[in-house]
Amino acid sequence: MIRKVLVANRGEIAVRVMRTCREMGIISVAVYSDADRTSLHVRYADEAHYIGPSPSNESYLVIDKIIAAAKKSKADAIHPGYGFLSENAAFSERCKKEGIIFIGPSADSISTMGDKISARKTISKAGVPVVPGTKEPLSGEEEAKKVIKKIGLPVMIKASAGGGGKGMRLVKNEKDIVSSYRAARSEAKAAFGNDAVYVEKYIASPHHIEFQILADMHGNTIHLFERECSVQRRHQKVIEETPSPLMTPKVRQEMGKHAVAAAKACGYYGAGTIEFIVDDKLNYYFLEMNTRLQVEHPITERVVGIDLVREQINIANGLKLTYKQKDLSQNGHAIECRIYAEDPDNNFMPSPGVIQHITEPLGFGVRHDGYVYEGFKIPIYYDPLISKLIVWGKTRDEAIARMKRALHSYKITGVKTSIKFLEKIMNCPDFIEGNYNTHFIEKNKSFLEEKDICKGDCKAIAIIAAFIDYHNRIEKAQQNISTGNTSSSWKLSSRKKSMFKI
Amino acid sequence: MALEINIDGQSVNVELLSKKDNRYQVSIDGKVYDVDLVMVEKGVYSVLYKNKSYNVELVPGREPKTYTIDTLYNSYDVDILDAEAKYLKGRKQDYLEDNLAISSPMPGKVVKILVKIGDKVNAGDTVIIVSAMKMESEYKVKNDRIIKDILVKEGDTIDGNQPLIIIE
Repeated sequence: MIRKVLVANRGEIAVRVMRTCREMGIISVAVYSDADRTSLHVRYADEAHYIGPSPSNESYLVIDKIIAAAKKSKADAIHPGYGFLSENAAFSERCKKEGIIFIGPSADSISTMGDKISARKTISKAGVPVVPGTKEPLSGEEEAKKVIKKIGLPVMIKASAGGGGKGMRLVKNEKDIVSSYRAARSEAKAAFGNDAVYVEKYIASPHHIEFQILADMHGNTIHLFERECSVQRRHQKVIEETPSPLMTPKVRQEMGKHAVAAAKACGYYGAGTIEFIVDDKLNYYFLEMNTRLQVEHPITERVVGIDLVREQINIANGLKLTYKQKDLSQNGHAIECRIYAEDPDNNFMPSPGVIQHITEPLGFGVRHDGYVYEGFKIPIYYDPLISKLIVWGKTRDEAIARMKRALHSYKITGVKTSIKFLEKIMNCPDFIEGNYNTHFIEKNKSFLEEKDICKGDCKAIAIIAAFIDYHNRIEKAQQNISTGNTSSSWKLSSRKKSMFKI
Repeated sequence: MALEINIDGQSVNVELLSKKDNRYQVSIDGKVYDVDLVMVEKGVYSVLYKNKSYNVELVPGREPKTYTIDTLYNSYDVDILDAEAKYLKGRKQDYLEDNLAISSPMPGKVVKILVKIGDKVNAGDTVIIVSAMKMESEYKVKNDRIIKDILVKEGDTIDGNQPLIIIE
């Protein structure tokens, strides 16, 4: 049985993993770089080992250093968190070789699912739908017409050698097939010197919906329902919620079955996530599998009532899952907001720096997974995620109201944060109605970027506060000078004398 | 005490009319405000005005006597323009007229410097790349310029608003 876990990560996720370790009576070991000496995960852990300079490729990403720290601390298992080495097959393999338990899937599962083409092959064999299309280049205009008819419009014609939007043509009408095919080929030829093109179904209003799965080493696999992750900015998730406002019980059951089948297809054990792309009519297609704990795992924990890190550790211990699919249900609604150190007024420029002041929201139905505290300097080397705010409500409306309340009382100064932007989203009609897809932020740009004009006397209050603060500081400085003058050397010597008497 | 204060580029005259404990009477451009103001935490003031409760956070700026002030929804940049500040500001403007500095608004690490001292660069050319939190930002010149001085090297850790490259 695992009794000591090294957490090969930093930031909020390291702290989150250690919390469960503590509940389970497991000793936790932190690793840290130069920049992270004062980071909360180091303070929270029972032990901490230094692993080198601040850049992650010289510390958190160096397999040898992590393994050396694990050996030195006599940890019997490593939890990789997310990011860094969490989806590195070589690392999983190395742990196995060194006799250390890797709290995650086998190297085989990681490499099968890490490569998009092999993942697609494995998944289609298991009967899970993938985005319809040809991965082979089209042989000519006749084939193009035939294939596109089979897939159904609209489709996207893409350059095989391509990327960056070059050689791509969206086809909406049958009469445009041939001309678009020709245009895509000539553009591909010009851009990449290769005119091979293939065709894929175009999903006009895509939703990103993922399923959490858990699998033990004894062939038991269950899913813990979906997470709706369509609120994204530059392919980065901003807000997640569960259940998805789009979902129906029938489709949920079907997708859950496919998620389990996908995990089984690669002999998966551990916690994992199957990502789907879903259109407005709830047609869904496999996108990729994440072979690790996700950032947004707490919303599932909250609604299903299962600690996913505890389950990961139990699975790594070789235990059987204690839950059957029929035992699980979704209770209420959970939303997560990611708080980033970035400036929403300035094109989301990263904003590292010292936390001057932080007031975290509390109260019924609020969970806060973070790692910063007053006086902590957020390093420039790592991800700008400061914390995750997770709320629960009986209904979606209640959860939104609670999130608004929590964001309202969440104050961080010293660095710029995305809190204001998240509040805007909570007030955006499309979000409130649950009517959104991955184009949500782009579509509501003007609403989300509009500055709130303070109707009251905010500006006057700000001026007064600055003025009084300055005034009081001057007054204090003058007092200090005057008290300094009164302590003459005569007084000092007499004080010294009285000291001697004592 | 009376002072000139600049808020988001607008100048106002502020005067303290009276003070008793934490009750202040202040006039802003002639309009009188009676407020109850207490510093409740370091840098955080609780202000009561007409029985409305405001929480105001003062974050000292990079320059002395400047603040960023956050109220519930708005953030303001405030400069206190006392005699010393006015004098220093005047001097700084003289300096800036001769020298233009390229700087990054956030702290980070210099990834790459694409120019040498004496280079002629064209409008829109990238001169330096700074990385922070896994994101790289390129800094470009807005007009045709000559590189006068380079104050940092690749790999250096830099502060926000620190001059990196001087152009002419």
